[in-house]
Amino acid sequence: MLFNTTQFFAFFAIVLVVFYTAPRFLRRVILLVASYVFYLSWNYKFVVLLLGLTVVDYGAAVAIESASTLRKKPFLLISLAANLGMLGFFKYYNFFAGNLAQLLRVPPHSWALSIVLPLGISFHTFQSISYVVDVYRGEQKAIRNPIDYALFISFFPQLVAGPIVRAREFFADLNAWKHPAQEEVLRGSLLIVLGLAKKMAFADQFAQIADSYFQNLAAHPGSWAAWSGVFAFAMQIFFDFSGYTDMAIGMALLLGFHFPVNFRRPYLAFSITDFWHRWHISLSRWLRDYLYIPLGGNRGGRWMTYRNLMLTMLLGGLWHGASWNFVIWGGYHGALLGIERMMGRREFEKKPPLWLYPFRALITFALVCIGWVFFRAATFADSRYVISQMFRGSGPVEILAPPWLLAMTGVSLVIAIIEEKFEWTEKLSHGPAWAYAAFTILLLLTVELIGVTERALPFVYFQF
Amino acid sequence: MRAFYTLLLTAVGFWAVEYAIFHTDAYYTILRHDSSTGSVETYVRNELKRVRTNPRQVLTIGDSRMGFLPRYAKQLQPGTGYQFATIALGGATPRDWYYMLRGADPQANKYSAVVIAMDDFEDTEIEEDLSVRAVDLYYLIGRLQYSDLPYFAGSYRHNRALEWDAARGIVLKGLIYKRDFQEFLLHPLYRIELAQQARRDSFFWYYSYVGSNQSLEGVQIDFVNRTVTVPPGFTEAQKTAYAFRFLAPRPKDRGMRSEYLHQWLGKIYEHYRGSKTQLMFLRLPRGPFVRPDQPALNPHSSVRELALKPGVMLLPEHLFDSLEKPSLFLDQLHMNGPGCAEFSRMLAREIARELDAL
Repeated sequence: MLFNTTQFFAFFAIVLVVFYTAPRFLRRVILLVASYVFYLSWNYKFVVLLLGLTVVDYGAAVAIESASTLRKKPFLLISLAANLGMLGFFKYYNFFAGNLAQLLRVPPHSWALSIVLPLGISFHTFQSISYVVDVYRGEQKAIRNPIDYALFISFFPQLVAGPIVRAREFFADLNAWKHPAQEEVLRGSLLIVLGLAKKMAFADQFAQIADSYFQNLAAHPGSWAAWSGVFAFAMQIFFDFSGYTDMAIGMALLLGFHFPVNFRRPYLAFSITDFWHRWHISLSRWLRDYLYIPLGGNRGGRWMTYRNLMLTMLLGGLWHGASWNFVIWGGYHGALLGIERMMGRREFEKKPPLWLYPFRALITFALVCIGWVFFRAATFADSRYVISQMFRGSGPVEILAPPWLLAMTGVSLVIAIIEEKFEWTEKLSHGPAWAYAAFTILLLLTVELIGVTERALPFVYFQF
Repeated sequence: MRAFYTLLLTAVGFWAVEYAIFHTDAYYTILRHDSSTGSVETYVRNELKRVRTNPRQVLTIGDSRMGFLPRYAKQLQPGTGYQFATIALGGATPRDWYYMLRGADPQANKYSAVVIAMDDFEDTEIEEDLSVRAVDLYYLIGRLQYSDLPYFAGSYRHNRALEWDAARGIVLKGLIYKRDFQEFLLHPLYRIELAQQARRDSFFWYYSYVGSNQSLEGVQIDFVNRTVTVPPGFTEAQKTAYAFRFLAPRPKDRGMRSEYLHQWLGKIYEHYRGSKTQLMFLRLPRGPFVRPDQPALNPHSSVRELALKPGVMLLPEHLFDSLEKPSLFLDQLHMNGPGCAEFSRMLAREIARELDAL
């Protein structure tokens, strides 16, 4: 059940009706059942895995809280082993087995298994780990009600691709649940439509261009084609993932939950440091709190900071997928972050003067685009080819995106710039009804006339 | 309540904008005239605004095989006393014909006769299940109204996904127009000019069409040895197409086509039932060659059953047998220019004769 299908909207409408008409004490159970139904609709076999991890982490957290200081650690390790073990097996087994086989010069598929990646495993395991670690650190009380905990892990708006929600944020909402305010209902509804427009009208349109380029590189030689193919993917992944996140946040709002912001106009970033403050914020936050800081953060001197940054980004890259390309992507960003730090951290965190901003933003965007090549290309050889085409390619002037789509992207850039300054979409739900209606109608028409509706394309991050 | 009223305003506003653009004539001003939707709209709208010089009007309908060209019938007009027009359209099927006729003649009172071209009178099965033909939604979207939703969408009942697409498309027509709209965005000024030109001149473009002079002369089908021989200049693809048309075994009768024809020809009959319009069915020339395995007479075929009702007649089945020769055909299906000319004159004379005899 993809978010961009009628089937899902029918499901969500039913959930809303049942949720709000049911007595209050039943509502958590209703959300839990709905979340499991949602998960079952993907692949019923993996429900056992989700349930199993939920039981292990629930038990581990309760045990950690009840145990004396010295006896807490084994329970933490059990939980980490369960989560990372499952993640490692399902996501990375074939990757490591393939690499080992190559190293030992045996056929690459010698130890390969036919493994289907359980949906959302990267997200719900990270969410579980953060919860158990928080309990271990004493920053979070163990949840005693198994239904509450199971709901935290499986809550359907964010189960598949985040945002990665902290336990204290989620349980603050759950325990002091309030009817969403009028503005929240409006904002939630607007975010759902906005997300749908981002996904169907922009991401899916750009996906067709990016796919046609990356799936047949030889057919589009030259730097124009390479840059426009990579640009198409940059647009696809942003609109796709931020569209999904908008919808998730919107749906959660309608159910009375407040998810953290996950994207803040990342392509307006003026440095790579700034980019990572704006892109997939919930993951960046997770990596900072549960990887970078435990590794020592910036406390061990300059070189340790670079090392920790690089390790965090390499693992962040690997988290996205089991391939060297993702590791390189992470390493590339780690290197850029390191270079920026070397050149003076403040310089890259402080907003540049207005005259310099567009130039810095353009450079940052170009650097991010180069990174996307590794993210999207099927193999390392393909990545090398695309990079070489971007900088040394000779070929016809071929811009792969149609002019109207580029014009629409230009309009969305202007909207983003205005949003950056005034945060006006936030204000829309507080403003006059006509303004809200006009903008939402425009979005709906965009979905209707530009959106790819012939078939529902899956979200990019669902594969992670 | 603020949220409720704002969302209500949004929903009503969206519906109003959608309605204003796609459920009125507004979008037609930029619609590409030769798209699926544009073709149907152009034919029907041209027919609606055609100058009628005579109260005795005859309209013909069919698909691309219906080679009736009104310009030849017009040459006979003083003799026949009837004015002929056609809204036959390549790729159109009986489902499309019904909605096109309803659009051209909403009150069922404009024509002395509506003449419908059939491949045969026996409901012979074909490979394709016409009831789930997705393109019909694209042909007809300009004709469909909210009230058509249950019947039209329901006619796709053999394919639930298409049934849903049809229902959704009638409510949100922009979903169907979107391909045309995206193409419009590529060259908006050119499109506006083209659409204007088509609205002004397309009637004459179509009316002036006289067909091609190419023919299948020299092509031979040996039905005994099951071989096709073509003279120099013909391609292998053409040869294959002829072999498929004339030598391939006929599909097994699944009753699908008969069910479909009963439904949609019945619907056309219902539209004209009790009116002064005579419904006439003709059997088109079967082709440049006639297969020996002709379908057996089917007394329960759609047209034969309809012909038992008042106001419906079948034109003589073998009326056009003399046209079934390679020299009058452009390809395995379609008559060429001389074939269309001869067919048009013969048909006009026959219709006039039948109508005068009533």
